[in-house]
Amino acid sequence: MIDILRKLIERTSAKLMRRFCGRTFACPVCHLVLAAIDANGNGLLVCPVCGAVLEIEDVYGHIVPVVLDMELHRPQPKARLHPLATHLPIGLFPFALLGAAVLLLASVLAGTGIGVTLAGAVQGAPVLADAVLVLLVVSVGSALATFASGLWDWSFRYRRRPYWQIRLKIAFSAAFLALGGLAIALHAAGLVFAAGSGLMELGSPLGVLAGLLYLGALSVGMVVLATLGHVGGTLVFGR
Amino acid sequence: MMDFSPSPEQQERIEKARAFTREWISPNAARYDRSGEFPLDICREAFKQGLMNPHIPREYGGLAEPVLDHCMVMEELCTGCSGIGTVIDANGLSQFPVILAGTDAQKRRFLAPMTEELMFSAYAVTEPEAGSDVSRVKTSAVKVGTDYVLNGVKWWITSGSVASWYFVLARVGEEPTGFIVPADSPGIVRGPKEHNLGQHASNTVRVTFEDVKVPEAYRLGAEGDGFNIAMSTFNHTRPGVAAGANGITKAALNIGLSYAKRRRTFDKKLISYQGISFKLAEMMTRLDAARALTYKSAWLCDRGVDNAREAAQAKWFAADVAMHAAIECAQILGGYGYTNEMPAEKLIRDAKIYQIYEGATEIQKMIIVAKLLRMKEVF
Repeated sequence: MIDILRKLIERTSAKLMRRFCGRTFACPVCHLVLAAIDANGNGLLVCPVCGAVLEIEDVYGHIVPVVLDMELHRPQPKARLHPLATHLPIGLFPFALLGAAVLLLASVLAGTGIGVTLAGAVQGAPVLADAVLVLLVVSVGSALATFASGLWDWSFRYRRRPYWQIRLKIAFSAAFLALGGLAIALHAAGLVFAAGSGLMELGSPLGVLAGLLYLGALSVGMVVLATLGHVGGTLVFGR
Repeated sequence: MMDFSPSPEQQERIEKARAFTREWISPNAARYDRSGEFPLDICREAFKQGLMNPHIPREYGGLAEPVLDHCMVMEELCTGCSGIGTVIDANGLSQFPVILAGTDAQKRRFLAPMTEELMFSAYAVTEPEAGSDVSRVKTSAVKVGTDYVLNGVKWWITSGSVASWYFVLARVGEEPTGFIVPADSPGIVRGPKEHNLGQHASNTVRVTFEDVKVPEAYRLGAEGDGFNIAMSTFNHTRPGVAAGANGITKAALNIGLSYAKRRRTFDKKLISYQGISFKLAEMMTRLDAARALTYKSAWLCDRGVDNAREAAQAKWFAADVAMHAAIECAQILGGYGYTNEMPAEKLIRDAKIYQIYEGATEIQKMIIVAKLLRMKEVF
């Protein structure tokens, strides 16, 4: 089952890569996956991780990169703000999702016999709902700072060169901010968790709809965030 | 008058195969080489574009493509990846025995459906104890009523686990006899994929026959015709194998040339050194020589002339040229030729099998010598 899921993810990501990045190849020095479309008009591309200056040519459909030089002297601040800043949204968002999932479970169980035995836990729901909101606000709020520091990093360290990783990170960051913003808005407006009980109102259609939208935004946001972290990690640590 | 230029139809086929290679094969070559998966999606597209089963006669829905034209196509496909090229071409090896010795009913039953939907077939002759020495096969076929009952193990069968039917060489008493065996016959056990040095996309497996019943109607020719059928098949397919090797040589030459023209050492382009440029000159010359042998053997085959010697010469020479070119390509790329992030090392692994399958290089030389022994003089 896990193997099938892994293969499915691999195939889907390969298809998406082909769709959005075109032909890709591995940097012959650090093995980072690079896109041929990121080369300039002269077929030159600088690897964002190792600094290899590559001249690429399509030879009968095979991408053949040639290392012309190594770009050693790159702007490298001692404390790189972006990689540090990413820890906050990546660290907090999963706990917000976990808290929301616990609240959903408690909401479902509250109406059943099992809910009686969990009465103590259910009583703590309002506190947990507030904590989830705080986590979301801090996580998504800090993502704004992360986004800004990422743009700064791209401008200086990567000299505003086009890389598929950066394009993906910008698009996914915008998506994460939108999804996180939606979740915060639904939560803060009281549409998801009832003010008194801290539980979802599963009896009303509006409550169910808001709850689904909220959990959907959080779940997709988590996938987007994990992808951002993974792609960003390859830019720091290589493949 | 001799004309070495391809006809407009041949040129069209070459360009079509080249475009297919650039779009479908080369970009996926490394992926399939690493995963070892069967390239079904590429085969689907190749089938759609009419690049599979080219030899099937027109009356059975095929293209009846001449062997020479097919060689030109194969060279293009194998320039992208000879493993994927082999998968696309492998049906031909099992189809030729049916084309050469099959009855009309057999051709309608086994060849015609292959032109209508994507299907695979396999040539199941090699056995663990009988590779180049095909006459030693031990798989037995015992006549029981109107059926034959087959028992034995076939080894390194290309497309063995995806085939819908097999051409099987088995012994009826002492007589090697050819059979067409549907793959869904009870008693057929397909082994796991073998992990070979190269051509990882190609599906090579063991196929075991345990009391497999085959109707008499599926026997090819008469009892005892099997060896000749199996051997005459090679006269038709060896030019294609040589063309595949030429594809590797062409890939090695193109990659080496591209690299040498751009890489700088000691403030000069690599190609400006004779040590490197002469390698490229030799590769180009050997490729042209291998092509000449390949095309001549294919041309003779299309004319219905015995081409056993020429096919053996082409297969041996093209295989050696491919192996040499792949090694020289890696040498030109230096350390980058040794890493699996560049396409050169795969060429070395893929080239080696051309010196072994469909008759090892030594067998090809034996065939040439056998022909020489029948000549009084060579003109």
